[in-house]
Amino acid sequence: MMNARNTYTVSGLIITAVLLFGFTRPNGNESKEEKKSESMPLYGNWKTYGKKDGLPSDKIYAVRADGDRLWVGTNQGLALLEDGVWTVYTEEDGLAHRGVLAIDVSPVTGDVWIATMSGLNRFSGGKFETFTQFNSGLANDVIYSVICDGKDVWVATGGGAGVLDTYTGKWGIYTEQNAPMHEPWTYSICAGGNKIFIAAWGGGVIEWNKETQRFRDYTDPDGEMEIDLFPDDGVVHDITTAVSYSNDMLWVATYFGMSTYDGTHWKGYFDHDSGLASNFINFIRAKDGIAFMCTDNGLSSFNGETWVTYKGGKVIIDGNSAGERSLDATSSISHDFTIGVDLTENEIWVATSKGLCRGEVIGSTETKTSKL
Amino acid sequence: MKRLIPFLIILIFSVDTYAQYKEKNYGNTPNEIVPYANFQNAYKKHFLEPWPFRGSGREKAEPAGLETVRIGLLAPLENSKDVPKGMQMKQGAMLALEQANAKGGYKGIPFELMPHNDVGLWGAAANEVVTMDDEGVWAILGSLNDIVTHVAIRVALKCEISVVNMADPDPTLTETNIPWVIRVISDDRQSSYALANRIYKVDNHQRVSLLRANNRYGRVGTGEFKDASRRMGHPVAVEVRFEDGHTDFTDQLNTIKKNNSDAVVLWGDAKEMGLIINQMREMGMNHPVYACDRAVTGEFLEVAGKNADGVTTTCQYNPKLPNPKYDQFVTKYKERFNTDPDVFAVHSYDAMNITIEAIRRAGLNRTKIRDLLTDMETFQNYKGASGEIVFDATWNDVGQIYMVDIKGNDFHYKPFEAEYQAYTGSVK
Repeated sequence: MMNARNTYTVSGLIITAVLLFGFTRPNGNESKEEKKSESMPLYGNWKTYGKKDGLPSDKIYAVRADGDRLWVGTNQGLALLEDGVWTVYTEEDGLAHRGVLAIDVSPVTGDVWIATMSGLNRFSGGKFETFTQFNSGLANDVIYSVICDGKDVWVATGGGAGVLDTYTGKWGIYTEQNAPMHEPWTYSICAGGNKIFIAAWGGGVIEWNKETQRFRDYTDPDGEMEIDLFPDDGVVHDITTAVSYSNDMLWVATYFGMSTYDGTHWKGYFDHDSGLASNFINFIRAKDGIAFMCTDNGLSSFNGETWVTYKGGKVIIDGNSAGERSLDATSSISHDFTIGVDLTENEIWVATSKGLCRGEVIGSTETKTSKL
Repeated sequence: MKRLIPFLIILIFSVDTYAQYKEKNYGNTPNEIVPYANFQNAYKKHFLEPWPFRGSGREKAEPAGLETVRIGLLAPLENSKDVPKGMQMKQGAMLALEQANAKGGYKGIPFELMPHNDVGLWGAAANEVVTMDDEGVWAILGSLNDIVTHVAIRVALKCEISVVNMADPDPTLTETNIPWVIRVISDDRQSSYALANRIYKVDNHQRVSLLRANNRYGRVGTGEFKDASRRMGHPVAVEVRFEDGHTDFTDQLNTIKKNNSDAVVLWGDAKEMGLIINQMREMGMNHPVYACDRAVTGEFLEVAGKNADGVTTTCQYNPKLPNPKYDQFVTKYKERFNTDPDVFAVHSYDAMNITIEAIRRAGLNRTKIRDLLTDMETFQNYKGASGEIVFDATWNDVGQIYMVDIKGNDFHYKPFEAEYQAYTGSVK
């Protein structure tokens, strides 16, 4: 039986080990060690859709799967793919603005919520309803992100975050006046773990705890824009661009790398020390424990163990590691500048700077092949 | 060998300034104040190379049938205390645009300025940039206020329109990695380093108090100064704030007085800083005063009167240097607008000239215009009316900044670089 002194000694050793492993990190070269690989789906048989197919533009900002339907936001309007037919909605149909930046579907009502560059739309019963600064509690008309969380609809706007209780019609606005953000610049929003997470441009991540009704913020601990002092000490940069939550893990995208947060520990990932395609991440969506990062140089996916990146006509598995594999692909995403992504059971939809791409699961990272 | 000497001399002088800049720390930060440098090398350093724009757009054909080539302007033009500055921004841009039109515009099509007020409802700038996108502008100039400009550049990124900033000194503006933003005026990081060097190295002060505007300009502007002070071994002793428009600063000055400071730094607008220095002297506070660059105005001299004497500040350009471009600009500006240009007018004039030149060379394609503005060649070392513009990897102007000493109701300029070398014996 250990006495109290020995207990303290063992505890001290454990704490020291945790601190050492928690706060030290190899540099980029040292990280090139053989990693234990966990199977990840591989997507292929890519097909591209654009103006020639009936979309209003080739520049795709957002994509959202809704059962058998697919909603697509472009810089020239909203498109719906249903039963193989594209239907386009523009300002003439009631769309608040041609620039559609984000889309979500209410699990409660089936209403489609559309974030545009000049107002928020609810598409319900075939009709558009428009919310703006002038007729609602919206903080700003440029809506970067919208999510449905039960009866609540949350938005991230150029003038703060907002929430609409669709039962009461009441709005809440969160800015630097009542939330821990220096400025009311919000860029992305997600829900998970009974919390709402907001990517606040220049302010890191703001967390709203639905149970305690309180905010807290997560910022880069070094407080400097030009460096990341330690990658695993917090969010890698305060210029956050997207957040997503899945399997008790928060995924945070920035223009300087990516972070994950499991509620206790942060981890940072960069394009020089991981399989991340680029540090410039436009969007992130995590589902069933796998996150998809839309970067300016390809689409990356990661499950915490294995990386898969689609870029330049290749599929790269565990890039920047000793176990890196590069597969030649017979088809690929149409452009490496990726902006949005969504998934169904067996397919993936990717919004790019030049076309909307659909891929399907054709194997896994365990597949022994050099070609897809 | 002798025949090679002229060639070698040419080679030495043709080494571009960006290459020289790359040898320095980010933001021209002196070694002793590089963040955390004394105990830890950063795991990841950003802004070492310009970030590319990898999206599509270059393939788009030039539109036909345009009646004008539109360039947006975002500035405080109505309902703001900053309207006088906004008007200087607008007039500087207008002058350059009118001169370009007199020379044939763009292939015979006149340029058209699309001015937008950035003051209004929350996030007004975001809505205005969307409107400018709808208007079909090819690039945007602006704005002054950092909260406005940050909002604007995020929307500009989505719309893929270049923003040429000529008035916002917020260091973080170009630290966002958005490859659609350039700035042609030095920022508060450069001003802060210059002031800190003068205060602690040249004038040997030890204990400094800071009195700043209680807004983002005051908070972010002084951020680099406070960091530099701390890293130089002189953390700011006390920081107090004042509200825009206030005229009585007794409480704040009493706090400073009690704190036994040996110098005071002011950061705010010219009028408030003038009133503060008057009240300091009335209260018997004879501290040396250092101020942000907004003191380099006629308004500050007018408000502070004889109390302005002895104040040290900085400026992003030196209007007293021999520069025919500046002299011509001033003459034409006075003729056109019947008033003297200020720092915002001259930088706005340069910003518009750069933008017009980029459009003329790249053609009517937003992505190609961006490519030209950010290629680190075409406009690197651009010699405008405000002087030479030197871009760092974030497309921020890190060219020369000037120390300004106020004596005899006049501004006396001196390059910071010369002062830095004289007292430290090294180059930044």
